[in-house]
Amino acid sequence: MAATLLRRRGRPLAWLVLGLTGLVYLLPLYWLLVTSLKSKAELYRGTVTLYPHAPTLEAYERVLVERGFWMLLRNSLLVCGATVLVTLALGLLITYPITRLRASPRLRQGVLNRALSLRFLPPVAVVIPYFAVVRTAHLYDTPQALILIYSLFNLPFAIWMLKGFLDEIPAEIEEAAYTDGGDRWTVFRRVLLPLAAPGLLASGIIVFTFTWSEFLFALILTATPRSQTFPVGVQGLVTQFEVIWNDMAASGAIAMALPLVLALLARRYLVAGLTFGVIREK
Amino acid sequence: MADPIAHPVGPARPAPAPARAGRREASERRLSLLLLWPVLGVIFAVAAYPFALAVRQSLSAQTGEFVGLDNYARALQNPLLYDALEATGVYALLVLPTEIGLGLGLALLVHRMIRSTAVKAVIFVLAVVPLVVPPVAVGVIARLFYAPGYGVINQVLMRVGVIDHEIGFLSNPVLAMLSVASVDVWQWTAFVYLVLFAGLQTVPRETTEAARVDGAGGWALFRHIEFHYLRPLFVLILFFRMADVLRVFDHVFILTGGGPGSSTLLLSLYLYRIEFKFFDDGQAAALAVTVLVVVSVLYSLVIRVLPVEKG
Repeated sequence: MAATLLRRRGRPLAWLVLGLTGLVYLLPLYWLLVTSLKSKAELYRGTVTLYPHAPTLEAYERVLVERGFWMLLRNSLLVCGATVLVTLALGLLITYPITRLRASPRLRQGVLNRALSLRFLPPVAVVIPYFAVVRTAHLYDTPQALILIYSLFNLPFAIWMLKGFLDEIPAEIEEAAYTDGGDRWTVFRRVLLPLAAPGLLASGIIVFTFTWSEFLFALILTATPRSQTFPVGVQGLVTQFEVIWNDMAASGAIAMALPLVLALLARRYLVAGLTFGVIREK
Repeated sequence: MADPIAHPVGPARPAPAPARAGRREASERRLSLLLLWPVLGVIFAVAAYPFALAVRQSLSAQTGEFVGLDNYARALQNPLLYDALEATGVYALLVLPTEIGLGLGLALLVHRMIRSTAVKAVIFVLAVVPLVVPPVAVGVIARLFYAPGYGVINQVLMRVGVIDHEIGFLSNPVLAMLSVASVDVWQWTAFVYLVLFAGLQTVPRETTEAARVDGAGGWALFRHIEFHYLRPLFVLILFFRMADVLRVFDHVFILTGGGPGSSTLLLSLYLYRIEFKFFDDGQAAALAVTVLVVVSVLYSLVIRVLPVEKG
């Protein structure tokens, strides 16, 4: 009784706090979008306007076409797509033995631990050694260098997520297929892979999202629009001498559009991915 | 096999007929090694070779000759290193308690006050958003908020009449640090919230109801019941976020570039400056090797208390 009373009395306050929190989260996105929709003329007026008086997509067009950022967008898509494929393939090669075959528990634990340890390494301490290697291997300013390194550093997430998904598939289903005379490869392809498909998709989306956001490696290992990724382009607009607010905002909006859509689709798995399976959404 | 309850049911496959089981087990073990070792070998090589090179670079002068621990000594004698360590510490002290406090508060608020599943679903979606906005884009947004000439905070304050000229959010050392930290709080409080909120769902309803009937207030409920379910998650959050403080780069690079002076020069920006602005390969390699070794040692100490799956 007392508890319900308390809850009833506290409720308006709770809504107030939640409303304010929502504002804190939505206002920044509002200001980004609003700025990206302003025209150059509006920006050069004396006072800053709080909403676009004549909304226009000219900033988006200028960023993508005139500044040639469509090429960076293409590079990002290529690098992220390839990274997802390589990461998932390697992830399956590692997680299939440790979940479906009788790999020793020590090996399983060792692999999982080592994978998790990569999550703790500061990328900047990693990029310094890789910078030297990439230069001597003539991979500087190529998408291949990024794909290689992104695959390596997204592998921990993939391993832990795939491990979780594979562990959940009951062994009996495979057992039945073996009894029906299937060999291991057929059972893997025809039984396990279809059952693991949603997990593969979720892991793929999350690896794609992380890779899409990566900035430091791309900043250091690429130099020209031939292989630069989109976040590097965004940063280029920020540190220019004369900052053009609407172009900068438009590039930021483009950078966040795709991961936002993808992550909302895979939202139930995002937290599991970020916490290495400690939190499982049902 | 008399007592079925004594055998925990896990993901392990049921034992097939004993005669075939031995053969099958041996072949599976062989295949697992055949699949695992080549991949793990390649990954090890790709990870270890650059590290070995970095160790060599850290022991060499720019010309390539062996100089022993000179680079390490120079790295330790660089006064800027201590500025960077201090900035990193201040940053951690600003963001970690704030994020954990706000995240916990929001998680408890939603858990206790919100009944509607639809509202909870909306909050969940909104909480996912900041986590996936690329840090570069977050940096851009932060510039649109704090930068002179356009920053919306100054604009609104001036229009309302609170101030008559702009506050230098990015030119004052203290305000710059607060600005940079606020971005981290904006992005990562949602992570703390999601983890703790999920943790609160594992507290059995009967337990809290019983405690409430016994007259437990909100604080007692948290301290004596909910906290015990959340404790492993606090450990997880603390270690993940501490590691993240060492990883922070993107939004600070975009918002302040480490400045003004070295007031927001976090450790990762410092390493970047040594290698890519001062082109001091030896000192940068020494720092990188030190950081990697220290983090790896800390990791091996911490892994035992992390609530992740073990064996």
